[in-house]
Amino acid sequence: MMAKKVLHSLTLNGEEVEVASVAGATLLETLREDLRVLSSKRGCNQGVCGACTVLLDGKPVRACLTLTARCEGHAVQTMEGMNGDHVMATLQRHMVESGGVQCGFCTGGVLISARELLESDPSPSRETVKTALSGNICRCTGYRTIVDAVCGAAEELSQ
Amino acid sequence: MTEVFNPETVEEAVALLAQHGEAMPLSGGATLIAMRNAALVEPSHLISLDRIPDLRGISRDDGGGIRIGAMTRHFETAACVELTGSLQVLRRAAGMIANRVVRNMGTMGGSVANADPAADYLPALSCCDAVLEIAGPDGRRTLSIHDYIEDWYETALEEGEIITAITLPAPVEVSSTYRKIARVSGDYATASCAMALDPDGQGLRVAIGACGPGPLRDRAGEKALRGKLDDPSAVSEFTSRLVALADPVDDVRGSAEYRLRLIPRLVTSVLSELTTQKEMA
Repeated sequence: MMAKKVLHSLTLNGEEVEVASVAGATLLETLREDLRVLSSKRGCNQGVCGACTVLLDGKPVRACLTLTARCEGHAVQTMEGMNGDHVMATLQRHMVESGGVQCGFCTGGVLISARELLESDPSPSRETVKTALSGNICRCTGYRTIVDAVCGAAEELSQ
Repeated sequence: MTEVFNPETVEEAVALLAQHGEAMPLSGGATLIAMRNAALVEPSHLISLDRIPDLRGISRDDGGGIRIGAMTRHFETAACVELTGSLQVLRRAAGMIANRVVRNMGTMGGSVANADPAADYLPALSCCDAVLEIAGPDGRRTLSIHDYIEDWYETALEEGEIITAITLPAPVEVSSTYRKIARVSGDYATASCAMALDPDGQGLRVAIGACGPGPLRDRAGEKALRGKLDDPSAVSEFTSRLVALADPVDDVRGSAEYRLRLIPRLVTSVLSELTTQKEMA
């Protein structure tokens, strides 16, 4: 049986898009399978690993737990739409320089969570960074280099 | 495949739930969509409560009581400056749920409806003597949080009913707090403790989480403890009663025996934190 599809209109990275997704699809499915926007990763599909994190109306959410129907008329932003964001660019450079990127699967989600942290707390302690990133699982780095990167970016941005 | 509806009023949502027998109400999705992704639930229809303005926001009534719309997200509750004194416990609990991203999604109504015994709101709401506002096919009703949990994951919500708001008595100037023992930051509780002192500082209200099907309150014990908060043997007698009333299970977060050992330590330690705060104030 063909699965019933539904048309959704939303703003993706600043552009109005109309996309047909299977009824009840998650935003993650719509992004990856229907729009081929691939920065949001499917890790656990349970909201635990953080690899699918995107911005919905400017706030980080799990794309795997968000229905596309919920995004109708709302603004979704993925890593693809963050070029030109100064805070993000600074975080990215520090991640590369500190060795916070290895396989890269978790990196987008980590960066989006870190960016939200720096918006609310521009000079976080290492403990605060660890807690803020507790919803982003990385199986490569052991986290120290990621925390280094976020603290380094925070220091540079507050100068 | 799941058909999704986006009603804009409570009445419309309740009618849709009645119309589609297999339908489930959807709030923040943090638990329900995860369960659907794992094929633990396969609802034919999801009735999203996200576009119902009546379910949103935190407001104060004329008597100072606070009403939290069921779709209020954890980050909003965690940042709510109205939740002071005796209601600080709820604000603290909200800020300890999962992690920042999940707190942007999950809602109080959804968490209460899901009734996970290890989740953070139920003990905090029990400690605040909260009341639930409920809407269903037979109209609207209110229910005390103390009458809400019937068994493990079983609540007094009837078929087709949704929680529309959680109401709290006006905050009073006393110390209150929430503490949880968890394996890692953001995990569900192995055991948790929500506590508020009485306005005269002579007694307390305490609810234990994750040690039974619902939050554990011992109001008779609280009464007996009044005036004796600085008497270690009275406190110890009180915590022994809580241990006797608790009904924990063994799970990945800890054995039942371990949880029973945590209860007296949690209560004693949180009580000492609150009474020290009071002396410093």
